[in-house]
Amino acid sequence: MLEISELRKRFGGGPGASEGKVALDGISFAVRPGEMFGFVGANGAGKTTTMRIVMGVLQADSGSVSWEDRPLAYDDRRRFGYMPEERGLYQKMRVGEQIEYFGRLHGLGQQAAKKATDDLLERLGLTERRGDAVQTLSLGNQQRVQLAVALVHDPEVLVLDEPFSGLDPIAVDALATALQERCRSGVPVIFSSHQLELVERLCDSVGIVAAGRMVATGTVADLRAAESNTLRVVVRDPAPGWADGLPGAVTATDGKHVLLADGERDDQEILRRAMKAGHVEHFGVERPTLTEIFKEAVT
Amino acid sequence: MNGVMLVARREITTQIRTKAFVIGLLVTAVLVAAVSFAPTIMDRPDSYTLGTVNSQQLPLKAAAPDAEFTWRGFPDEAAAKQALLDGDVDAVLVDGTKVLTDGELGSELSVLLQSVNREVRLGAAGVSIPPLQMVSVGADTRYEAARTGIAVVLVLVLFMLLMGQVMMVAMGVVEEKSSRIVEILLSTLRPWQLLGGKIIGLGVLGLINLVTILAVGLVAAAASGLAADFPPGIPGLVAGVLLWFLLGYAFFATLGAALASLVSRQEEVGSVMTPLTMVIMLTYFVAFYATNDPTGTLATVVSYIPPFSSMVMPVRMAATEVPLWQAGVSMAGMVLAVLAVLGFGAKIYERAVLRTGARLKLGDVLRAR
Ligand SMILES: Nc1ncnc2c1ncn2[C@@H]1O[C@H](COP(=O)(O)OP(=O)(O)OP(=O)(O)O)[C@@H](O)[C@H]1O
Ligand SMILES: [Mg+2]
Repeated sequence: MLEISELRKRFGGGPGASEGKVALDGISFAVRPGEMFGFVGANGAGKTTTMRIVMGVLQADSGSVSWEDRPLAYDDRRRFGYMPEERGLYQKMRVGEQIEYFGRLHGLGQQAAKKATDDLLERLGLTERRGDAVQTLSLGNQQRVQLAVALVHDPEVLVLDEPFSGLDPIAVDALATALQERCRSGVPVIFSSHQLELVERLCDSVGIVAAGRMVATGTVADLRAAESNTLRVVVRDPAPGWADGLPGAVTATDGKHVLLADGERDDQEILRRAMKAGHVEHFGVERPTLTEIFKEAVT
Repeated sequence: MNGVMLVARREITTQIRTKAFVIGLLVTAVLVAAVSFAPTIMDRPDSYTLGTVNSQQLPLKAAAPDAEFTWRGFPDEAAAKQALLDGDVDAVLVDGTKVLTDGELGSELSVLLQSVNREVRLGAAGVSIPPLQMVSVGADTRYEAARTGIAVVLVLVLFMLLMGQVMMVAMGVVEEKSSRIVEILLSTLRPWQLLGGKIIGLGVLGLINLVTILAVGLVAAAASGLAADFPPGIPGLVAGVLLWFLLGYAFFATLGAALASLVSRQEEVGSVMTPLTMVIMLTYFVAFYATNDPTGTLATVVSYIPPFSSMVMPVRMAATEVPLWQAGVSMAGMVLAVLAVLGFGAKIYERAVLRTGARLKLGDVLRAR
């Protein structure tokens, strides 16, 4: 399990000084093996800062990161796969050689690195571009190479900062499948994204960060359930005035009445009244989308 | 260590395949070969064509063994004058008493003709004069010209290679920093491995260049006959030059990498490197001065002071005889300086290379944490 606890980071200003900009204000969360964790939050919320601290390219002012119940060490990180927010590749180096090189740096032998590279290029649809310089690739294809670099050594943990940005729908699906596969084999995956539908579709759990704090975390279902409190009832052709005295407001279109009720209410009484009034087409608590939860949480 | 080697190998394989490297190597090889042939082509032995009308040929070759003389006989003065005016001969000896020329004769040839003529006449009259014996009481100056030549070429080559490789190191550091690839690299490598691998890789490329230049130069000098004038001890000089190059390179490249890690954009490399390039230039000027005055106080003193010694000492060694202990002391000093710089430079690099954004101040980096 990867555990991030109480990370704090301030940019600018001296140590202990009160000036400077607080980027992280006590972020904590955990990602279990085989879990896909979606990291969402407004621009500047602190996602990238958190991931950079996890990868050891930035030092936290306080707090800790632990992996399998001990402090995360340099040798552990070598077995992580990382995709930084600002993509970095050797522009003049060939695609295949570049992926192989990173495989070797992560400790693969020459043969193993070559094989892993071939497999990844095949999966990412880049086999024909193996011998081309990275700079001749389109942005999206460079992004695929960047991903291959993060995946080549079959990492134990994946930390991906906005891996889906800039990809076409086909590539999004290919990447999603690749990540799900890694996940199924027990790898914890953390990725940040602003595409909330995607996060909702892929992730087992999400963390919403705002101004350097984790404001909500849990499974998508839990979050939606926790946030949901609006009852929605749809009745066809009810008797007029059927909802008089019930909490909430009714809107009617073409004989279809929709009742939305918030707050204190007696759900069973509402259902009885509705069934008496007409044909009940829908009765249930509204599940907000992740987008709605997100907006709610960060404002 | 494995990481260092992987990084070094990447530097070497990517550079060696670039057109710039291959063309650069070819151009320097051709230039060095040209330099090795130039003196023999320009210094051709003097050659004269002389004519006779009703005269004996003079034994000029015996008096001037380095020059070439060709003799032609003419039946009369008219034919000889025509040949002179056509430029076929340089001078014509008539009746053993008169020399015809076209305009004024070069003083070397005329002095030669006069003195040989005098000697022949005196010899015929039974007077023989023993030639003057030449004895030098100063230092052996036979190789002075060759030594100076070698030193000048050496100083140019060392300077160009040093500057080139150090700039490559600096640009490589900034390339990795600006593209943020350093974030991925440093999640699997220690900063010193990345820095060390880069310096070693580009150093090997510099050595390939230097060895090529030295090999082409020596082979070309042997082929052109220039090597005949070379002083003894060339193999030792070559070994010394390679060592000194490595030391100088390690010193400047480490500092270059440290300075370059302070900036995040290629455009800023030049300005952040200015102090270092100034020191390299200064080293070069002093070394160049030393080619002229290798035994002077300035050259002698500076050849002990790192990092100047890295260029001035090999130049002194080429330009004059340097006692072994002097070279040893100077080298020990430079090795210490390199070790100090490695520690200091690696620290700066480690602290600065992940801090992208505005140019960092050296003082802030040193003070941080
Ligand atoms: N190197 C830095 N120097 C100063 N401030 C920084 C630095 N890096 C990040 N910050 C600040 O820290 C805060 C968090 O930034 P971070 O990049 O982590 O946000 P993010 O959640 O990744 O945003 P985005 O969605 O835009 O990528 C921001 O206010 C940012 O200005
Ligand atoms: Mg970010």
